Amino acid sequence: MSAPVSDPFIEIRQLTFRRGDRVIFDGIDMDIPRGCITAIMGPSGTGKTTLLRIIGGQLKPDAGSVCVDGKDICRMDRAELFGFRRNLGMMFQSSALFTDLSVFENVAFPIRVHTDLSEELIRDLVLMKLNAVGLRGARDLRPSELSGGMARRVALARAIALDPDLIMYDEPFTGQDPIAMGVLVGLIKALNGALGTTSLLVSHDIHETVSIADQIVIIADGKVIGEGTPEQLRAVPSARVRQFMHGEADGPVPFHYPADDFAYDVLGELT
Amino acid sequence: MLGLLRALGVRFLDWLGALGRATLLWASAMLGLPRWQDVRLVVTQIYYVGVLSVVIIALSAFSIGAVLALQFYTQLARFGAEDAVGIGLALVLLRELGPVVTGLLFAGRAGSALTAEIGLMKTTEQLSSMEMMGVDPLKRIIAPRIWAGLISVPILTAVFNTVAIWGGFVVGVNWLGADPGGFWSGMQEGVEIYQDLVKGMIKSCVFALLVTWVAVFQGYDAPPTAEGMSLATTRTVVISSVLILATDFILTLVFYGDF
Repeated sequence: MSAPVSDPFIEIRQLTFRRGDRVIFDGIDMDIPRGCITAIMGPSGTGKTTLLRIIGGQLKPDAGSVCVDGKDICRMDRAELFGFRRNLGMMFQSSALFTDLSVFENVAFPIRVHTDLSEELIRDLVLMKLNAVGLRGARDLRPSELSGGMARRVALARAIALDPDLIMYDEPFTGQDPIAMGVLVGLIKALNGALGTTSLLVSHDIHETVSIADQIVIIADGKVIGEGTPEQLRAVPSARVRQFMHGEADGPVPFHYPADDFAYDVLGELT
Repeated sequence: MLGLLRALGVRFLDWLGALGRATLLWASAMLGLPRWQDVRLVVTQIYYVGVLSVVIIALSAFSIGAVLALQFYTQLARFGAEDAVGIGLALVLLRELGPVVTGLLFAGRAGSALTAEIGLMKTTEQLSSMEMMGVDPLKRIIAPRIWAGLISVPILTAVFNTVAIWGGFVVGVNWLGADPGGFWSGMQEGVEIYQDLVKGMIKSCVFALLVTWVAVFQGYDAPPTAEGMSLATTRTVVISSVLILATDFILTLVFYGDF
């Protein structure tokens, strides 16, 4: 396990979250260091996206606290939450671009809503953000005219439109071709360095994530089972962490969903 | 028997929960509105839900006016009272058919579109992303659509009434040969501003509130699946239609009932 983070941007303490009878998080503690890229990893269905939504204040935990830059978002009312989110960028798995707006207007949206900048300044800012993701020339396209990779890059430009202190990426590499994936990896790393933001990345793609993450947190069964730099985690003796870090199909995290004996299922009472 | 009671209880609690969520949604969206910066959004929505509904409203109105005139004329001609076509047409349209049919058509055309649009925005995480940007989707998406409906439906009702009376005039006077002077003067004498026109408009405002409320709630509350979307749009039309017809009966009873 890694040493405690000296200046955490996000402090999660005793976080418990349930969906019905199912416990998603069972009193987890986590520190996300300021100005670094932290990757949240774990098997499907462990609540990685749920964690991002809790940090963004879209879901309320059943117990525990989530402090972002010293403020407990669990105690904020609706107006305070909307104020807090102005300093937050999130790139959704589905890109979540506004389908009735052009690429330019999608990126301009948060700037228009939250600032009183002149139209000229908004234009310059949007073109700068689009240029950073290589899509300045696509400003007039509609979201339906974009490929999946391009849509993610527009979503990234929109997430950084107001230069937020915290950017959250939900599965940014899923379904991307190798070129788009490489571009996104490079962009996330470059933007984090250039803007000095804290980045929180949820991903399954071990190789890409390890190549840019400063810290990785692995969650399984509602607990944090591993935490540290990629090098530290590779050296962890835990079989569960090793299985995940090396992408092994079977191990402590079973490949098969719980079921009856296969032979019995197929042959019935003949067995 | 116990199972049936339990199932009924569960359905009732589900319904009560949905009613509570719908009320909260409406109250949260409309609290403190309208804001000046939302005027443009409201105008845009008036175009989508109101202006784009004009053609179907006008076509239906003309047909209904024409059919009513035909029926009225045929029956009234037996008693030599063809001139009463105008007043009969006006009272039926202003008091009942105008607001009710406009409400039903609005639910079918604009209500279902509102539900599908909001449901798809939810399914594709557009509402979530808006929230994460610090923009309240209730104020930005829901409220302008409710306001647009509240403004559009009474205007559409006025359009419906006007076109339907014109349709009645074309059939009753131009085609069947009723006296135009009798047609208009009967209407002028028989129609009262408050009793007929204002009460009809109050009905249309109530129907506007019901349809937009049901439509935005069904879209916002729809499960983010294809089946959920399909059910939500169907529910919007069905629930809105039933509510319009039931509320119309109650309002007619209150406005015109002789207790």
